[in-house]
Amino acid sequence: MTTGREAGDALPADQDTQQGHTSTEVREEAKSVEFTYRGIFQKTLAANLCKHVVMAARKREWLGSTIQRYSDSPERNGIPAKQFAVIAPDTETLEGHMAKYEPNELDVITCLDDTMADGIESWAWYGRQPINVRLRRGGTLLVISNRSKEELLRIIPQKPWDWTLAILPGTPSLAGLWVYRDDGTDMRVLGAIASSRPDIFEMSEIEAVIRDDDALGDDYIAALKSGHDEVVVHEIKAGEGAEDTYEPVKLPGYKEMREAIIVPAVKVGEKNPNYRTSSDRTMRPVVNFDTCIKCRQCWIDCPDECFDITDEELHPINYNYCTGCGICAQVCPVEDCIVMVNDLEFVEEGDKDMFPLYKEDRDSYQEWREEKIEKGRIQHHDYFNADTWAWAGSGQAENTPDRNDRTARNS
Amino acid sequence: MTMQETEERGGRGTEKLMTGTQAVAQAVRLADVDVTAAYPIRPYDGVMQAVAKLIADGDLDAEYIVAEGEHSQFEICKHASAVGSRVFVGSSGVGWMYAMESLAVTPSLRLPVVAMIGNRALDDPGAFGVEHNDAMSVRDLGWQLNWVENAQECFDATLMAYRVAEDSRVSFPVGIGVDGAFITHSQTLIKIPDQEMVDEFLPPYDLGDRLLHPDNPISIAPQANEDWVMEIRKQTDDAAKRVKGVIQEAHDDFKRIFGRGGDNPFFEEYMTEDAEYVLFGMGSLSLPAKVMVRRLRDQGEKVGFVRLKWFRPFPTEEMVEVLTRFKAVGIVDRDYSYGSPKQGGVLFTDLRAALYDAEVRPRLVNFIGGLGGRELTPEMMDDMADTTKRAAAGEDVPTVRWIGVRE
Amino acid sequence: MTMAPGRALQLDPIKSIKKAPEEEYYQSGHRTCQGCLSALPMRLMAKAAGPRTIVLGTTGCMYVANTTYMSTPWVVPWMHTQLGAAGSAALGTSAGLKALMRKGKIKDEPINVIAFCGDGGGADMGLAAISAALTDVEYNLLIFLYDNESYANTDIQTSGQTPWGAVTTFSPPGKKHRIMQRRWKKNVPGMLAAGHPDTKYIASGTPAIPVDMMDKVRAALSAGGPTYVHVLDPCPKGWHYDPEHSTELGKLAIETGIYPLYEIKEGVCNFTGTTRQIAQGRRERKPVREYLEKQGRFAHFKNQDFAYFQKKIDEMWEQWIIPGVIAFSYGGPINITSEKATVRNNNVERDNASWAGERPGHAHEELEGDGGLDREWRDDNMMGDPSSGN
Repeated sequence: MTTGREAGDALPADQDTQQGHTSTEVREEAKSVEFTYRGIFQKTLAANLCKHVVMAARKREWLGSTIQRYSDSPERNGIPAKQFAVIAPDTETLEGHMAKYEPNELDVITCLDDTMADGIESWAWYGRQPINVRLRRGGTLLVISNRSKEELLRIIPQKPWDWTLAILPGTPSLAGLWVYRDDGTDMRVLGAIASSRPDIFEMSEIEAVIRDDDALGDDYIAALKSGHDEVVVHEIKAGEGAEDTYEPVKLPGYKEMREAIIVPAVKVGEKNPNYRTSSDRTMRPVVNFDTCIKCRQCWIDCPDECFDITDEELHPINYNYCTGCGICAQVCPVEDCIVMVNDLEFVEEGDKDMFPLYKEDRDSYQEWREEKIEKGRIQHHDYFNADTWAWAGSGQAENTPDRNDRTARNS
Repeated sequence: MTMQETEERGGRGTEKLMTGTQAVAQAVRLADVDVTAAYPIRPYDGVMQAVAKLIADGDLDAEYIVAEGEHSQFEICKHASAVGSRVFVGSSGVGWMYAMESLAVTPSLRLPVVAMIGNRALDDPGAFGVEHNDAMSVRDLGWQLNWVENAQECFDATLMAYRVAEDSRVSFPVGIGVDGAFITHSQTLIKIPDQEMVDEFLPPYDLGDRLLHPDNPISIAPQANEDWVMEIRKQTDDAAKRVKGVIQEAHDDFKRIFGRGGDNPFFEEYMTEDAEYVLFGMGSLSLPAKVMVRRLRDQGEKVGFVRLKWFRPFPTEEMVEVLTRFKAVGIVDRDYSYGSPKQGGVLFTDLRAALYDAEVRPRLVNFIGGLGGRELTPEMMDDMADTTKRAAAGEDVPTVRWIGVRE
Repeated sequence: MTMAPGRALQLDPIKSIKKAPEEEYYQSGHRTCQGCLSALPMRLMAKAAGPRTIVLGTTGCMYVANTTYMSTPWVVPWMHTQLGAAGSAALGTSAGLKALMRKGKIKDEPINVIAFCGDGGGADMGLAAISAALTDVEYNLLIFLYDNESYANTDIQTSGQTPWGAVTTFSPPGKKHRIMQRRWKKNVPGMLAAGHPDTKYIASGTPAIPVDMMDKVRAALSAGGPTYVHVLDPCPKGWHYDPEHSTELGKLAIETGIYPLYEIKEGVCNFTGTTRQIAQGRRERKPVREYLEKQGRFAHFKNQDFAYFQKKIDEMWEQWIIPGVIAFSYGGPINITSEKATVRNNNVERDNASWAGERPGHAHEELEGDGGLDREWRDDNMMGDPSSGN
């Protein structure tokens, strides 16, 4: 695995972590927990989770801090982002982990949407980083997913040491800025952490935190327990997993940079080579070129300029940049001409353009397309998560008296 | 005529009677400025009135935009500069402060905007007399700043400003501090050279591959995160270190063509050859200071005066070399810096820092005076000289003293 | 015949998606939200304007999200400017080009100057500068305001364009106050049109209706002089809705009559698209609730809030002298434009008017001087000058 000490890298393979200890060996060291999430959609969920990690550790008299990764801000819908909780037995230890953008290494990385398991590109120049790039030796990657260990290990890179993969069955809980999706995901994740990593916090500690909060009732405890009971922990050996092809970023020095903050423009016909937006996707559009009526509505409405116009007047999609917003599927006037499919159905294809397959062998293309739709079709989404009701701003641990009063808005 | 004789006669050019602001306007005309933006505030705006008249009379071909505020005024000029137009702009006091956001970003963009600051006290209270804090407020940001003594220097400094600012090794904005009232509003006889001489001194403004134009597709100043800002600032720092060399070159050329400018571009020494103690300051306070020096010299005192011209870049090596010859330096600050290390003025604090490493350091005493346009008289200069002399003799004198305040 | 330097670039209307130019002048690889309908206007604006364009971008989402050092999505030359500086950046750029062209320092040719701003930077902080730019009729420029109804880049705060009652981080509903944002959205394109009668083009559009938006950009760029286009941009982050519904919500804003589409071209005001149908009585306005209830930023609304909002929109349509544009009732005496609207700015001729854009008689020679004075004008500045003979 080629890693170095440049910004954004994990520690090199040969350099042991934290005084030679693996993540679970010693309980009395600081612990760092990362929540990797879909920007905006899961921002409050991540904040909630971070806070609870600290509150749970508090039950055994530890101190803690949460960190929102500033470099992610301002957060954008779908662009992967990270928040962290750092807990430590005392102030001095905690201070060693402060005044930085993110912890150097993580004991636990929680991936709140499994479509990020194939890597995340949060900003320009860093490329697509593996989901487990900063995992500590012996650490745990916890993923919310209905996929199997084998499927996930096709996309999650191997490490040169042992670690654990914890899978909590479920689908990603996506909301927005103002209305929290109060569906128990936060509780399930906390339960899963308590189960798979009791050195972070034990079930009794997190349960005590939840019981302390008058606003949270029995259903929250039930969700906590379900997460605890349903998470499956897999021991992953060194070398098990996908090939790690990540190249750490090499940033130019000031003598190579042009003066006066100038960057050359994108050349006509090309796209921004330094930032690909493909990792924003949870789903991708698949086109039926046979039923397309060539109205160009998808082409004109795409905010990311992803549609080409071929000589045949058809519109293949550039998956290096498609963010999976779903607008094209919505505006296309022909039913099922554009269908959104879960992005993890395309591990083989990666970001490859599939139009050449259509041109070469129409039948194969249609077969491929139908299979994808069959396996991973995503229905059109509701406008927003109006089915749940808990004010994002006030958070879970505080009083939100109107929370359960769904009749209130109709008075 | 020898160079010295030419210099004594005020250099080459036609003699005219004009104010400091009108003199700047003449330089703007001869520099063939392309775009200027105006907004009224005293005491700088005489220059904009003069420029307007030049355009109306067909003596200058430039776009003249009356902005709706100083922020816009400076933004207009900054952007005109980015597309290759030579620009001129100015302000005073709180007007300059209203433009502060624009002032902050212009040096990082490395755009050679030339601005005249008609130095004026900052509000509150609203006060219209001279103080230097307005221009000084940008001293850390990459603005090159110099102060003038009279209308002739107003003219000369403007031409120098374009020459230095637009040099591709520099490419920084330059501010010229012109004392409000005393220089902006009084007329003196100055020499205005002809266009041919100016053209020899001042090449056309050429941004090269930094020009914003459809034939040169670039993006200027994308937002940057913590991975990049250190490097961007380092580039600016390297460039800032090149300014002194460029000023020296330009000065040599200026002297050769126009026949005046003094021994060095950075400061003027007045009767300092065998001085034991000197006063030090910027701008028009040099005039009563020189009166004082002559008077005291007549009485046998070994006193002199050093007038700083370029405040940024601060000529540290030269200042150390010159000032360490004296036993004491009395720095006259026409500005304030509340809560600063010795609660002295800005010049005093900078000079102390500049002299810190010198093997033999003169005693430094500071005088805060002339604020809000209060006159600094030769008598006050006498008083300050006396304190400085006593400091030179090793006496115990206050480090910082406010001059001329009614108790 | 030589034309006035810095004349406007002539661009024909696009009229249909099929006829839209295929080239992109703002390309993929920008760090915007999924479904960002503020990014789409950047793309469409650049597409409509074409390669002979300089873009000035104020701080905001379309700065911070798009242009991340050391990279850019822009194909045309682009420069950052300050939050409230769209008007001044456009003016400075246009004046700079004009001076250089007139003085022969660069080639005299039409170049589009477009400064974009968000509703925060434009309608609030930079409004004075936009106004100043619109009064300076000698310069060709387009100020393009993308309105996502908040200060979006700083994670959604109230701006002067935030709708009544909407949730932002500055207006969260709480135990004491449900509605913290109690200001009604101020009417910017109408205000600017009413207050700057000499501008030749001001329009309101949305990227949800892309061809109309692009045609408005082209009309603005071709009009000559300073112009303004305001577009409503559904924002999945700030408005809280699933990104796939962006286009649909943009259309709903128009179909409910909340956001009217119109253009004011040489003094003649016309509604366009669906708004025109509503104004002509050929289509009923949809209830505002249909639009508001699809967005999380109104999730706290009660019936009384929807009712209030509806009343305000009804009032706009029933009582404003021009709905969505001019907010007065008018009791007469009547001098309202007759049945046939007359084009303004062609009625009042001025000899040798120094006007940007192509008009007969406005050539280089004219700008050299409009005649000047017959006798010397003397003022303080000239007194005592030996050369002036005093």
